[in-house]
Amino acid sequence: MIKTLDRYEKIILGLTVLGLILGAGAIALSVLEAGIHLPTIEDRIDPAAVRDTAPFDEPGVTINSDGTATAVIIAQTWLWEPDTIEVPAGTEVEFVLTSPDVLHGFHIWDTAVNAMVIPGQVTRVTQTFDNPGEFGIVCHEYCGIGHHTMFGRVLVTP
Amino acid sequence: MATTAIPPQEETPSAPTTIFRRPASTEGFWGWVTTTDHKKIGIMYGYSAFFFFLLGGIEALLIRVQLAVPDNTFLSAAEYNAAFTMHATIMVFLFVMPMAAAFFNYLLPLMIGARDVAFPRMNAVSYWIFLFGAIFASSSFLFGTSGAPVGGYLPDGAEWASRLGSMPNGGWFGYAPNSLEAFSTGTAMDYWAVGLQVIGIASLISSINFIVTILNLRAKGMKLLRMPVFVWMTFVVAFLLLFSLPIIAVALFMVTFDRQFGTVFFDATGGGDPVLWQHLFWLFGHPEVYILVLPSMGLVSEVLPTFSRKPLFGYAAVVFAGAAIAFLGFGVWAHHMYASGISTVAQAAFGLATMTIAVPTGIKIFNWMGTMWGGKIRFKTPMLFAIGFVSLFVIGGLSGVTHSIVPSNWQQTDTYYIVGHFHYVLFGGAVFGLFAGLYYYFPMLTGKMYNERLGKLHFWLMFLGMNLTFGPMHWLGLQGMPRRTWVWFEEQGLAFWNAVVTVGAFVIAASALVFMINWMLSKRRGVDAGFDPWDARTLEWMLPLPVPEYNYAKLPTVTALDEFWHRKYTEDEDGRAVRRDDYDEIVAQLEHEGRNPEEEIELPSPSYFPFLVGFGIMFVAYGVVYLSAGFGIWLMLLGAVIALGSFVGWSVEPLEEHHGGHDGHAEAADHEEIEDADAEEVEA
Repeated sequence: MIKTLDRYEKIILGLTVLGLILGAGAIALSVLEAGIHLPTIEDRIDPAAVRDTAPFDEPGVTINSDGTATAVIIAQTWLWEPDTIEVPAGTEVEFVLTSPDVLHGFHIWDTAVNAMVIPGQVTRVTQTFDNPGEFGIVCHEYCGIGHHTMFGRVLVTP
Repeated sequence: MATTAIPPQEETPSAPTTIFRRPASTEGFWGWVTTTDHKKIGIMYGYSAFFFFLLGGIEALLIRVQLAVPDNTFLSAAEYNAAFTMHATIMVFLFVMPMAAAFFNYLLPLMIGARDVAFPRMNAVSYWIFLFGAIFASSSFLFGTSGAPVGGYLPDGAEWASRLGSMPNGGWFGYAPNSLEAFSTGTAMDYWAVGLQVIGIASLISSINFIVTILNLRAKGMKLLRMPVFVWMTFVVAFLLLFSLPIIAVALFMVTFDRQFGTVFFDATGGGDPVLWQHLFWLFGHPEVYILVLPSMGLVSEVLPTFSRKPLFGYAAVVFAGAAIAFLGFGVWAHHMYASGISTVAQAAFGLATMTIAVPTGIKIFNWMGTMWGGKIRFKTPMLFAIGFVSLFVIGGLSGVTHSIVPSNWQQTDTYYIVGHFHYVLFGGAVFGLFAGLYYYFPMLTGKMYNERLGKLHFWLMFLGMNLTFGPMHWLGLQGMPRRTWVWFEEQGLAFWNAVVTVGAFVIAASALVFMINWMLSKRRGVDAGFDPWDARTLEWMLPLPVPEYNYAKLPTVTALDEFWHRKYTEDEDGRAVRRDDYDEIVAQLEHEGRNPEEEIELPSPSYFPFLVGFGIMFVAYGVVYLSAGFGIWLMLLGAVIALGSFVGWSVEPLEEHHGGHDGHAEAADHEEIEDADAEEVEA
């Protein structure tokens, strides 16, 4: 039923198939080679007892012995606790977050960090800050009347 | 059964044979309220939808004024949140869907050569449930309340006092737990959840009606692959509705139960899962995107061949691509929620599925271009809108493909990039297609022509405004501007493009004004459209304009795809289309026959009950909202009595109004279809 294909048709079909292969390849590469992972569910937590559960009983930044840092943050309506994270330049920071109330979105400007903070779950996301400066943290997931007031910052010191 | 005025009726009012009489009036106010005529229902759907388009548009303008300059306090935070929630809810559920339903209702029987849909009263009940549901949802403007979360505080500038600020404010996506009782206090989100539930019933009813109509009422010879593409897309959308609406219905019931009866489906403190809502919502929400855009794809597939004077390129491919889009549309929902944390395998699977869905969409685009290629294109307004659809949809489609790449999707999540993308799909796509349809079928609706100059002005203004508004949103998004945020700040460096976007929004508003002026003027004073004004291809243009109440005086027999074209045109030796020698006679005869039926034609009788069912269901909805206030239960009882009573009346009302001396039963075989269908409906 298919007659001989026109040359242009062959080209466009070839390009389509090539596009799909490249796209599938890009997905495989980004996951397997570049190691880009979305945040996954690491832990469950009782949202009513966030402040009594480690590590959220002591929110803040700790510098670990291997030079990395862990930032424990509670996202709640409508503030980040703490709202300032201070780390030296070149530090790999693991952000550990949860929410005692509604969904929030943890986004650090000028980085690829963009993760949903879900009540009942612990969100982990890692980012290395190579250059000193100030990076804004905004809430990316609509969380109610005070959504626009949820600001924080990452201060990267030299 | 009601009879049309031709030939002169012998109908005289006589004593009713049962306690329920069917209404006799087919004109005036009661004629509209009780009508079961698919054309009238389509027109009512259309005008209602356009009214909500204006409401949603005003909300869009409010949003854009608020975001025009940094640190703006034009709206309070509460008002802004309500405005973006209701803008989306209205545009999706109260404008695009019912406007598409208007076209389905009006065109479907005409295109397949039938006198009405399979279940005329079900068609009417669908409209009335939609209208009363829409009134109910909108009435949150008058009665809604909202307040601060339990134990929460109000930040500066957050005032709840105004009516606008007391409308539903949890976003059209209603993410739990923010939409639950503890965080959205007051009744506003109840109005939202219950309102959508009611409107969903309306769509579900009409989807079943359309499926049955298409399968059973096609004219002789109209095989499935001879149906116009618009009918095919109606068919596909009806199945999408049938499979996706129950999902959102269940999810909305769960939210309503969480809010009213203290269940914890989505409440993490009680062991529920907030992410479950997201899965349910997007499992409905992504097919919904195709529910919104496929009707326009159907309309464009009618307009492009007519104004290119060529058959649709690759008819079967366009049809099956539409079905493939619908099928794949159920397998991509999680690309809306990459930020919520899903496993690597799921990321890859949904990324691939998202990429794959671009293939059938691309097939359609290339077939539309192939249709125009080498055609004798007439740049009338419907054609301009159709070409606008194709070009803008390509942009929206391409920015959609960027969502299939996981890291890119993740970065764009909740930024203005997404807002830009889906407005290219839904405004540049769905809305442009609907306007193409509105201009194309204006002569059929009114028997008049619209003003071509105003039409073109409308197109160019809307095209310009649309690109000014939604183009820069991509750049704002990539700069990191978050969605759904009341204010942005000077330091964010977003000023220039935000100003441009706001200007663009007002250009769109101006273009809508031009459209309304054109519509109203042309309806009153337009030039007579004559017969077959577009030299069209499909069955419905064989009818005299405006279409008589009975549609076809004699039901047509179909021998080919693009039946009307083949009756008018033949091929010369080189395969070029030439008019048949007896073209003028064929056309004159069609027009004459169409206006002068040889025998009395029976049409479904009007009925009071569809209206009453919708009216009753509205009270049930109010009752659900005010259950905790105590008097809700009485409202529910009242509504249930009205609605259930109407169903009883519906079942026992006579099939036809008795008219003296003329028994409607002894009629030609032509009419059996509708009669049978109506009878089946009663039995069911």
